[in-house]
Amino acid sequence: MARDFAIPPESFDEILAWFNPDREMAAAMYVQLRHDLAKTFLWRQCSDPEGMTDEVFDRVAKKIRDVRPTYKGDPRLYFRAVANNLVKENFKKIKTQIALEDADLTKQQISQTEAADAEVEECLHVCLQELSFDKRELILAYYAKEKQAKIDHRRELAQEFGISVETLRVRTHRICLSLEQCIERCLRSNGQRK
Amino acid sequence: MNNEIDDAFLREFLLGKVNDEERGRIEDLFLTDPQAKERVLGVEQDLIEDYLEGTLTTADKERFVARYAQTPEQRRRLRITQSIKDWALAEAASSTKTSGWRGSPAWFGFRPAFFIPIAATAMILIVVGALWLSRRAEHAAIENELAQLNSPSNPRTGPVAAELSPVTVRGGESQAPLNTRSSEIELRLLWIQKERHPGYQATIRRVGERESHTVRNLQPESDGKAIRLRIPVHFLTRGTYQINLSADGSASPAEEYQFTMGG
Repeated sequence: MARDFAIPPESFDEILAWFNPDREMAAAMYVQLRHDLAKTFLWRQCSDPEGMTDEVFDRVAKKIRDVRPTYKGDPRLYFRAVANNLVKENFKKIKTQIALEDADLTKQQISQTEAADAEVEECLHVCLQELSFDKRELILAYYAKEKQAKIDHRRELAQEFGISVETLRVRTHRICLSLEQCIERCLRSNGQRK
Repeated sequence: MNNEIDDAFLREFLLGKVNDEERGRIEDLFLTDPQAKERVLGVEQDLIEDYLEGTLTTADKERFVARYAQTPEQRRRLRITQSIKDWALAEAASSTKTSGWRGSPAWFGFRPAFFIPIAATAMILIVVGALWLSRRAEHAAIENELAQLNSPSNPRTGPVAAELSPVTVRGGESQAPLNTRSSEIELRLLWIQKERHPGYQATIRRVGERESHTVRNLQPESDGKAIRLRIPVHFLTRGTYQINLSADGSASPAEEYQFTMGG
């Protein structure tokens, strides 16, 4: 989605102030909200989540002086409402119908080329070295089984740690997230070098 | 998160099978409640796994692909998850084989031919043990120094060398290398979680190394939004360091930070 409007600094400052009087906290909330809104756009099959997120912030920036003094509640919910309207406006453009044969084709595309797989694998090994021993062992144990066997296996694993399966999932998800971020950085840096 | 929203319902949400009102409710929670967010992302991770394992129904597979495999970035993320799973499965399979070999009674048969290797191994173990004891003493000394430096009674002497955001916050991982002529560096670790604690513990580790050092009883700033950590410079060498920060006494890391020391 093309941007025809850049947020003026004073509006951006006002958005931050709306999030939190503490600028550091507000900046962290801003970054997080951008990321989360993009995620919700993805869930709704929007083809340009980042562009639509920009558009949401642009629209809020234009109205912030009028909205902020009267709006009650968490400002992030106002952003979601704007995002929701934007999706509805673009519904026809973004609705994607995918046939089953396309689904199978796309699955093949996941392992597009052996070279791409090798690059990911190389970066995975680099990034695994950045994980602490405990975290690496946890990921290893968590993904050691597949399909039906993994359910019992993860239940046992959670019992060993004395935590619920849900907490175990959250814990491994956090580690995976940092691992994925590291791999993304590594792939980008390898791409720049080529 | 509301208890009536279970994993199965979140899975329906992620596959676009819920109505507008329910979707709005979950999205509101996702944007404003960190626990709800982690739960949704956890269910999403399970869904991705099921897709990669080929256990989704045909209809769910179509819905999944329409949401998670449309862009090159999405497909790259799936490839990354697949590679993590493949690695773990391969490691698990090889460790099963290894443990089977170790568990074989024939392996530990006590024959004379084994005396010399066993004696040599014992000698190596003694040397390694001595080295280990020495390193342990060194480790304890470093932790003691860290504890004294970060003691609430120890007044601060210099400026903050860097302010670090958690790596889970976008941009939190990027940080210019630190260079200092001072004998210590002071880091300000931003705490973005709503839940505040009276004391924190930080575990510091150089990336690529197993050894880590823990500092306990770190006091938050008065508003609870940041925790300061002081580290002696002689303890740091050039490279990237990782800090895990959690509530004092907690076994699980709550936030992770990174910083890089320059030459």
